[in-house]
Amino acid sequence: MIRHCFVFLRIFASNLIDMEENRPIDGAEIITLDEIRHLKLPYFEGLAAGYPSPAGDYQHEKLDLNDKFVPHPEASYFVRVSGESMIGLGIYDGDICLVDRLEEISDGNVVVAFVNGGLTVKTLDTSTRDKGYLRLMPHNPDFKPIIIDAYDQFILQGKVTSIHRDTRKY
Amino acid sequence: MYAIVDCDNAYVSCERVFRPDLNGKPCVVLSNNDGCIVARSNEAKALGIKTGTPYYQLKERFPNGEVTVFSSNYELYGDITDRVMSLVRKAAPTFYRYSIDEGFCDLSGMEHLDLKKWGEDLSAFIWKATRMPVSIGIAKTKTLAKMASHYAKHYKGFNHCCLIGTDEQRVKALEGYDIDEVWGIGRRYAARLQATGIKTAYDFASKAESWVRATLNNVVAIRTWKELNGEDVIPMEEMSKKKSICTSRSFPGMITDLLNLRTHISNYAARCAEKLRKQQSVAQTVCVFVDTNHFREDLPQYWNMGEERLLTPSNNTQQIVQTANRCTERIFRQGYYYKRAGVIVMGIVPDNGIQTNFVDYDAERHEKMKKLDEALDKINREYGTETIVLASQQYTKKDGKGKADVFADAIRHDFKSPCYTTRWSDIPEAT
Repeated sequence: MIRHCFVFLRIFASNLIDMEENRPIDGAEIITLDEIRHLKLPYFEGLAAGYPSPAGDYQHEKLDLNDKFVPHPEASYFVRVSGESMIGLGIYDGDICLVDRLEEISDGNVVVAFVNGGLTVKTLDTSTRDKGYLRLMPHNPDFKPIIIDAYDQFILQGKVTSIHRDTRKY
Repeated sequence: MYAIVDCDNAYVSCERVFRPDLNGKPCVVLSNNDGCIVARSNEAKALGIKTGTPYYQLKERFPNGEVTVFSSNYELYGDITDRVMSLVRKAAPTFYRYSIDEGFCDLSGMEHLDLKKWGEDLSAFIWKATRMPVSIGIAKTKTLAKMASHYAKHYKGFNHCCLIGTDEQRVKALEGYDIDEVWGIGRRYAARLQATGIKTAYDFASKAESWVRATLNNVVAIRTWKELNGEDVIPMEEMSKKKSICTSRSFPGMITDLLNLRTHISNYAARCAEKLRKQQSVAQTVCVFVDTNHFREDLPQYWNMGEERLLTPSNNTQQIVQTANRCTERIFRQGYYYKRAGVIVMGIVPDNGIQTNFVDYDAERHEKMKKLDEALDKINREYGTETIVLASQQYTKKDGKGKADVFADAIRHDFKSPCYTTRWSDIPEAT
């Protein structure tokens, strides 16, 4: 049984490194041990049981939230929302936004921007560009749009690609 | 062809990722314990601020906050540079990370591409994705690539990427490069070469090999000479395989007693053990060195190193700390003012192939220790580094009374930025 497991491991690992020599096979990209740990190896039921499970034929990779929501991990980071300015879009105080610097931004997107010393989450409105200013639109009647003109410090930080909230407290 | 990707003023640039308002403004990063300046932005360099300047001198010169100051936040720097290196890895067939802020690519098979444009595009992409400015040098050898990255960094006209392609370009690059800046030529050798009238890399490269052998008689220097002449002789493996791990630091003040010295060394040893476990390997030898302050010529000087071989290679915190402490006790001499110490673990091998020693090996104990280390790592990962430490790792409190609960209470870092990307409690807030 143990030998079987070992053989399986070798099959997958041998694509990457020579286990005995612990060095890369010619032409293969060098992968560190740390990366191997994060490689997704298909998971086989029934190996340890000694009798193959019929479900083994249908083995499939597990769903991973990172795959679904974080296409650019190097360019993504989290921001915590403070305040009520976006409740009209369902973004509440304490929500965690995932921000992606590589996603293309266009008019109407929810963005995070650095404005005059602090971060803000708003919808981008460039329709007033010809008049020499942009608007960052809140989604709450109690808040006014933020007008950005040439004198403001305004640095776009990325597009909000998903919103996360722990609903266990509800 | 090789490319080296090097982060510009890495630590300062990491601090600016979430402080874009600081772009274009002078900022510096201080060493551990807020002692002296270890990194400077270009604007700080332009003000004549030097690396190594003690913080109090900076404060005297700029009392009104003209220069933004940060305590070092290695957790942040580690994460941001990891992101950068991950993008570089995806851009080339073979990648080797060389240090926290630089990595080499082997561009074999990409020669048909416009490599200058490849580098410019990669630099622009990394900036867009991570907000880290990088300089890229491309050349036939790693030493020349390193030189090219220096040109890319210092001359805007290169647009972040300098390619040394033709022999003409190589000669021109060598002529404008001081010998003491050359990668692989240490300070001592540079001084010796300068004494013989060699000023630039070109002067050195045009000497005959026999002259270099006779004058320097050093393998690394001869390799460097060959690399400057376009001969690719430094193997890639040498750049990536970590055969030893070193954790060392200068102390905030000077240390005279064994107990205090041992506390520091215990922490370095624990850090080494943690690094070993992180890369799933074990070490065969533990080595400790201690050093006095060379700048204090009025004080007696002492340097020593002690090492001990482990019967069974290990990555267990307790075992490595205990071994390091034994080494320390052997080399410690009373009456000196110690300024620096470090722990090096050597003979690193993957932990799945441990050769057990029959006299020493106790399978049950080994399993227990392994579980303990796993629990230790998990807690320290979830609740912050040094949540759980060995008693011998406990530093004395800042005020000198009693033991500090965490390392943070023992050192100063008054200007530390949040760990924006690695702790939930520290993620930036947006209104």
